[in-house]
Amino acid sequence: MPLYLLRRALQAVVVLLAISATAFALFYAAPSDPAVIACGPKCDASQIAAVRDSMGLDQPILAQYADYVRGLFAGRTINDVDGTPIACDAPCLGYSYALHEPVRAAITSRFPVTLSLAGGALAVIVVFGIGAGFLSALRRGRLTDRLLSGFTLVGASVQIYFLGYALQYLLVYRTGWFALPGYTSPGDDIGAWVAGLLLPCLVLGFVNAAVFARLSRAQMLEVMHEGYVRTARGKGLSPLRAHLKYTSRGAAAPLVQLLGLEVGALLGGAFITETVFGLSGVGKLAVDAVVQNDLPTVVGTVLLAAFFVVVFVALADLVVAWLDPRVRLA
Amino acid sequence: MSGSGKERPVLRVRDIGVTFTGTRGTVMAVEGVTFDLARGEVVGLVGESGSGKSTVGLAALGLHDPARTQVTGSIEIGGTEIVGAAEDTLRPLRGNRVAMVFQDALAALSPFHGVGAQLAEAYRIHHRSASRAEARDRAADMLERVGIPAARARDFPHQFSGGMRQRVMIAMALINSPDVLVADEPTTALDARVQRQVLDLLDELRHEHGTAVVLVTHDVGVVAHATDRVLVMRGGHLLEEGPTRRVLTTPEHPYTRALIGAAPTLTSEPGTRLPTVDEPEPKPRTAARAPVTATGRLLAEITGLHVEFGGGRTLLGRRREPARAVRGVSLHVREGETLGLVGESGSGKSTTARVLAGLQRPTAGEVRFEGRDISGAAGDTALRRELSREVQLVFQDPYASLNPRRTVEQIVTTPLRVHTEADAAERRERAAGLLEQVGLSAADLDRYPHEFSGGQRQRVGIARALALRPRLIIADEPVSALDVSVQAQVLNLLMDLRDELGLSLLFVSHDLAVVRHFCDRVAVMRHGEIVETGTRDEVFERPGAAYTRDLLAAMV
Repeated sequence: MPLYLLRRALQAVVVLLAISATAFALFYAAPSDPAVIACGPKCDASQIAAVRDSMGLDQPILAQYADYVRGLFAGRTINDVDGTPIACDAPCLGYSYALHEPVRAAITSRFPVTLSLAGGALAVIVVFGIGAGFLSALRRGRLTDRLLSGFTLVGASVQIYFLGYALQYLLVYRTGWFALPGYTSPGDDIGAWVAGLLLPCLVLGFVNAAVFARLSRAQMLEVMHEGYVRTARGKGLSPLRAHLKYTSRGAAAPLVQLLGLEVGALLGGAFITETVFGLSGVGKLAVDAVVQNDLPTVVGTVLLAAFFVVVFVALADLVVAWLDPRVRLA
Repeated sequence: MSGSGKERPVLRVRDIGVTFTGTRGTVMAVEGVTFDLARGEVVGLVGESGSGKSTVGLAALGLHDPARTQVTGSIEIGGTEIVGAAEDTLRPLRGNRVAMVFQDALAALSPFHGVGAQLAEAYRIHHRSASRAEARDRAADMLERVGIPAARARDFPHQFSGGMRQRVMIAMALINSPDVLVADEPTTALDARVQRQVLDLLDELRHEHGTAVVLVTHDVGVVAHATDRVLVMRGGHLLEEGPTRRVLTTPEHPYTRALIGAAPTLTSEPGTRLPTVDEPEPKPRTAARAPVTATGRLLAEITGLHVEFGGGRTLLGRRREPARAVRGVSLHVREGETLGLVGESGSGKSTTARVLAGLQRPTAGEVRFEGRDISGAAGDTALRRELSREVQLVFQDPYASLNPRRTVEQIVTTPLRVHTEADAAERRERAAGLLEQVGLSAADLDRYPHEFSGGQRQRVGIARALALRPRLIIADEPVSALDVSVQAQVLNLLMDLRDELGLSLLFVSHDLAVVRHFCDRVAVMRHGEIVETGTRDEVFERPGAAYTRDLLAAMV
């Protein structure tokens, strides 16, 4: 077990380094010049050269990357456009000349939005996705199953930007049943926090729940006929209790693994949902940075998303091993 | 110990019918089956696969899925009707008055829970007032009773051996002292010695708890050993019933006679044609098998063979302890001879056979075919290809070993395509001849494996092995997955082919009676070593090793 954790941690570091290096390299291969962007449209050639020098952009790309990685672990000092030094503590994700703030601060200020959205969507996925699949399997071929299957098919085929705008129009502007989507810190007003995120979470969760509903239904139907479920019934357990205790346990592993990926992805930001509902989360920050050629923010957000995926995939594997004692961590 | 006729039977089955509804319409699995089970009695429900015997067992617990299965007639447990009863009526009976033991304990026990917890659950379901601690104690007692230390109660099923798992299953079924136990092939997956232990344990516990048993099995030996009365089923119908001794000695129905005669025993005449269901009284073979001289030309030879698995390095560079599957085995097969390699599961017999076939790289030792070193065949494509002209394999599972997407013609002609210059027409002609040789017909060439029964598929597998006229055939448990009467057909076929073609065989099997019937010489393996080798008569009449004597004594 400790060996497993060590191995997974090493693996995570390698993956994250590879991703950050790729993001770094790709960005420098792009035709635009970061110094021009940082300096702004009114700079002349000598000003740009000065900026390039103070940002360290005249260094070889490998040296710049090494500098960046060092900052991640030990922190570093970054020069602003005009050469004023900015202290950046570890883990330093760099300084955004476009936003005029450290990348870490940019992410930290937007992360609560993403976290709230991801948490709410996850609850919807577990309750409506996995719950619907479970119910469908128990009522296989009946009306409940057909209705739920149809409903999840809608979820799988509809796009967030359509469903989001349509529901916002219907439920917020036309009927006023839902509050206007927006983010209020739960520390300030917990009621407003819930009300403002309810619709975005439902939409994001519903669209992603479809995959889970279909997978959990298929898994349940497969495990339902396992010998140990029959044994449980032969002991005198009711069908529902046998399925809750044994079938769901047997069906869980692939769901947990998919859920790990999903949580990782959600925490990396949900750009479309954030845009549709006018929320300022990490997803929007990342896409805006790409559009504006804001290199440090792009690398920072990409790295953050990758970090969450790697961590939650490893966590999912741990949960699977805990669920099934036959699984050996390797 | 037959129950008295006056007492009310604990299980009363009247004219039951079971129909499965599937995508291809309905199938009548059981029809018109009637019998009684008296208190403490053991009734054997015997038949081949598809006879409906397991279906009857499941119906006794009302465990058939009502959405897909229709049960008619009447089944009473201690006076309570099971057929058509509501879940609320059945639940208090299941696991309490009637319990079940399944064939494959690894599949039937939950892989997610410790065995102690599974036993305790079975107790608590029917003893609502019992505390967790009481249930745990009761489970520990029961585990001790079946010879499993209570300290292992927290262990999971996959951490036990097959025999121990089946004992856990039995302990769980009997924890509430039920009136009726339905045991569905409880020992079929076990080695002979373990089977004997489990059957004896079942018998002891049955006496202690006063439980009556329906023992579902295909094995006439198990019936003879463990039952008072026997019911013979075929195609969903009850063919014959009576006291075990009477049915086994003077069976009335020809099918029963064939079923009993089809399995060779330690007293049957070796090498004779076995009776089958289609041919209950076979013509005796024209000539007895001539004893193979010990001076025949040496065909294959293994000397000092070792095979180890695993043993790689860990992350920290430490060498893992390898699993030593074969430890210093030496054996040989002479021209025209059949060598039987017997042993229990895990004894290394299949690994030894795979080395000889060039499929497994030996860790150490010498492997020769016709004097030529072939120990490197597993890593040398050209050498293995050459070897496969001379050495062919017949596998255990005729369902898994034939490609379901290929026609029989493609399956049988593949070796010809790879190894000979024959064109398509010549290959087809040769394949037709081979099929006729194994008792199929040229019309079967264009059919797919799923259109055949298990016995027919094994014939296809044999035809494929014969296609290149190999010098040596390695048959790894070729009849173990087959019903007894089909096993008899395939053994008869192999004996005929052997005489006709003068084949040399390495015959790997766990079944002593089959080996005695079929083989000229026998090598007995245990824990990767050969404990005894000799001619058939030496090994079976005058066994030298204590282990061989144990194996023979365990035969039921």
